[in-house]
Order: sequence, then structure tokens, then C-alpha cells
Amino acid sequence: MLTLVLVGVLAFGLPLVLRSPTYLHILILLYLYAYLTTSWNLVGGFAGVLPMGHAVFVGIGAYTSTILSLQYGISPWFGMIVGGLLAVVAGTLIGLPTFKMRGAYFALATIAFSEGVRVIIENMDYLGPFKLNGPRGLQIPPLKTGLANLLFAHKEPYYYIILIMLIAVLAFTYFISRSKLGYYLNAGGEEPEAAMALGVNVAKCKLVAMAFSSFLTALAGTFWAQFTLFIHPKSVISLDLSFEIAFIALIGGRGSIAGPVLGALLLRPVSDFSRIYFGDKLPGLHLIIFGTVLILVMLYQPRGLQEPLTRIYDRIVERLCSDKASEQIAVSPAAKE
Amino acid sequence: MKILEVKGLIKNFGGLRAVDSLDLSVEEGQILSLIGPNGAGKSTVFNCIAGVYAPSAGEIHFQGAKINNQKPWDLCRKGLARTFQIVKPFASKTVLYNVMVGSFANTDKTAQAEEKALEVLTLLHLDDKKDVKAGNLTIADRKRLEIARALATRPGLLLLDEVMAGLRPTEVDEMVEIIRDLRNSGITIFVIEHIMRAIMALSDRIVVIHFGGKIAEGTPTEVASDPNVIKAYLGEEYVVS
Repeated sequence: MLTLVLVGVLAFGLPLVLRSPTYLHILILLYLYAYLTTSWNLVGGFAGVLPMGHAVFVGIGAYTSTILSLQYGISPWFGMIVGGLLAVVAGTLIGLPTFKMRGAYFALATIAFSEGVRVIIENMDYLGPFKLNGPRGLQIPPLKTGLANLLFAHKEPYYYIILIMLIAVLAFTYFISRSKLGYYLNAGGEEPEAAMALGVNVAKCKLVAMAFSSFLTALAGTFWAQFTLFIHPKSVISLDLSFEIAFIALIGGRGSIAGPVLGALLLRPVSDFSRIYFGDKLPGLHLIIFGTVLILVMLYQPRGLQEPLTRIYDRIVERLCSDKASEQIAVSPAAKE
Repeated sequence: MKILEVKGLIKNFGGLRAVDSLDLSVEEGQILSLIGPNGAGKSTVFNCIAGVYAPSAGEIHFQGAKINNQKPWDLCRKGLARTFQIVKPFASKTVLYNVMVGSFANTDKTAQAEEKALEVLTLLHLDDKKDVKAGNLTIADRKRLEIARALATRPGLLLLDEVMAGLRPTEVDEMVEIIRDLRNSGITIFVIEHIMRAIMALSDRIVVIHFGGKIAEGTPTEVASDPNVIKAYLGEEYVVS
């Protein structure tokens, strides 16, 4: 608990010390990916299936709020909610036919859906009255800045918004994992037949989890659009994005609360710094590194790095505490004299 | 009163008739055993009753209402719980977690579910292992965990599918004691079992099936001396005529 508060305070205080916009940018993306992966974890971790097309929800969130604000002047905050609800509809549509599939088939079906949506948007300039602008994407003019428009000239406000979103989604995940739904999802993911016999409607639980997950993911889509100010199908609905979310979850630890955050903490810097230093010579180097790390983790820690890391951390805390305790014992006889 | 009534149950898998016009009924408060040689269709009968398979024909009544084609989770909430012959624990979770999944059938609150789960664990003498991961349990404890989970759903009728298979004789005796206690607490019990010593000690009545059809029914002593049963189990030449 103390550790959590300390980390929280540190995260909130960081922009006061760290003035470089580059590093803030990297941190914002780190939090964004931690947020996305935590949302993904509701389905991919708790429910025990492997969705590989979560970028489609990011895209839905990004496009919905952007179109609403560009064409109708509606605040992205409102567009965020609308995007979230649309993502719930999409998530349910994906979930209904696919949750009966197992393993790789479910992953393939979600990839297909996500790619399908991307190709459709790339080939469409208008969807009814809404301007999608095909592969050229949509640009948000950085004119009316301010909290109401979720548009800022500096990085700090974005930093705080995504940090608060991340803390909120982590708290939500914690709450879910200790609720009936959390128990049912875990049970259904591990032994569906046994879970059904114990009164768990496995398919329904997975759909509910998918609805939450897609809603939360779409919120991040809006944030992404407002942060980068330019979205196109390849940026927000790409397979790269879907895969990176899954990579982070698998390496950090699926189904745990800390896993996605740890995964993002470990992998995001790799991806950003490899792009900064090797971007011109070896583009895509981060994906090679990810792949290698993933293979190593799957071989030696198939349940992710979260477990060994917490064990090491606990041991350090224990060591520190016992040192203090032994010091006190050593001091007390002296005090008597 | 009959808590469970099966009338003319037929289950076909393609061209194979696994259960053939089976009639049976379980009186409330009784222990009924279903026995038969390997492959006789015992587990198929259970799966039809518990909603895993849809019966090809026939009717199944539970507490007076027809339950054909109902889903396993709905049946569980109505008070029909079961265990699996091949145990299916949620292996990466603790014993307490496993049982809480069952007790959530009657409550939405985590604290209440935990309370009920601890109660059940104490009843089955598993409370000292509540923080052990289910995957690390011995086979005897896994079987017990299966019962604990099913029990946590507060069933009126409990279907036990070979909960004593693979246990040592002392463990079998303990299990017989546990099942008796359950019956005495008001739960009707329907068991599939192979260990004759346990069956004879436990059952109020026994139904014997062979090739999916019923060949005998009665009290343990009646069934044990039935020539059809001896024939099915041991072969023609063992029947004393």
C-alpha cells in the first residue's frame, strides 16, 4: 500500500523535475500503453482468451470523437463517451460469435475483424454524413486549446490526464478482480466446464468483460487523437498496436493487475529508444527485441515477469524490515543500561 | 417426495445408443447409487441430468419441474450441483478461491461468498489448506475440493461422479463419512461409484445399468444377489443357478 502511494506521488511529481518534452512524451505513451493493456487485460487476462484486435476499439474511439468535434464542434470529452459506447456495440458484435472459439481461432477472428474495419475505413471517404477521409486520415487543428476541448499546447496536461485515467482503470480492474465477475471470469477462463457446473454463465461473463474492455480502450483512442492531433487508419487501427498491447500483457503478466504496468514500463522505453537511436538504420528493431524477450519470458516465466518481480521486491522489503527490527533489538539492551 | 425423476431417457451419439430408455427416481433425503461396468453410460446419464448433453428423448424432472435442455448454470442455481469424474480444479487459484466460485451462486457479495466458502471448507476438513493452490493438492484433496465447490452452491441434489476413484482405503472411509454427513444435513445424493465396499455402506438404493439400460434396482443386498448384475460384472459362468 505504502509503495503504491509512493509511486503515485512520484508519478504526479515527475513533470516538476522532468522538463524535457521528449521524456514527457515517452512517459505519456508509456502510461497510454499501460492503460490500453490494462483494459485489454479484462478480457485477455481475466477471461483467458487472447484478443489480438483491440486496436479496432482505439480506432473507433479516435474516429468518433474526432469526427464529432471536427464536423459538429462537440467536445471530445462527450465524443469520448459516444466512442466508448460504439466500441461496446462493436465489442459485443465480435464477442457473440467468437467467444465459443478456442485459443488461436479466437485470436485470428479478432485480427480479421480489426483488419476488416481498417480496410473499410481506408477505402471510404464518407460514411453517410461523416467524413472519414480514407487513408489520408483526419487532422485536428490545434486552435481552441483548453481543458474543455481536451487540447493543450504543452505536454504536462496530457501527462496528468493519462496518469489519472491509468490510475482509474487500475482501480477499476482491482475492484473487478475482487468481485463476483472477476471470480467468474477467472473460473470460466481456466476450466469452463467446471465453471458452468458451478453456476457460471461463461459466455455472458466474457461478453460483459468485453463490453467493459472495449469501452475503456475506446476512451484511450480519443486521448490518442487529441494528443497526436492526426489520426489515420494505419496509426490507430494497426495490427502493430494490437500486437504491442498483447506483447506487453504477455511479458508483464496476463491476468494480474500489476502485469500490464510492469510490461509497459519494461517494453515502452525499448521501443522508444530504439526508434530514437536506430530509427534510420534499423527500423522495426524494437519488434525484434520484443519477440526475443517474449520467447525468453515464455520459456522461463510463462506467467509473465510480474510474479518473479514481486517475489524479489517482497524479499527486499522483508530484508529491509528485518534489518530495522534487528537493529531495534540490538539497541534496546543498551537503552536499559 | 421424488426430487429427481428420469423417464424414458435416451441419448444417442450418432449411431451409438449410450443410454436406452432409462427410468429412475431419487427420493428426497436418500442416497441413490448408479453402478455398472465401464462404458455402461453412467456418466452420460449424469451429463444429461446436469444439462451438459441434451437428451435425445425422454423427460427429466427436478423438484417437479421439467428440466430438459436447460443450461448447466441455470440448473446449478436451481439447486442441482455436480462433481466431475476427472477433477477440474481451477489449478492456478487457491482452494478458497475455488470454493468461492461456487458460493457466488447465491450471493453477489465477496465477503458473504468467502464466509460461506469457509463454512464448507471446515465441513470437509479442508480449512487448513485454504491458501494452497488447487493445482498442488493431492488427488484425495482434489476430490474433496470438487465436493466442496459443488456444496458451496447450496444444492438440494448433489450428483457425485466417482469421487472415491483413486483414493486409498482409509480415504474412502473418510469420504463415506463425509457423504453420510451431507445426507444427514438434508442434501439428497446421487452417486456414480465403482468401489463396491463404499456403495454397499452408503446406498439406500442402487440402480444398475449395462449397455445404457437398467438391469436391476433395489437395496444393496437385493442388487448384490441379482443374477443379472453378477452376469454383467463377472460373466455368465459365475451365476449360481
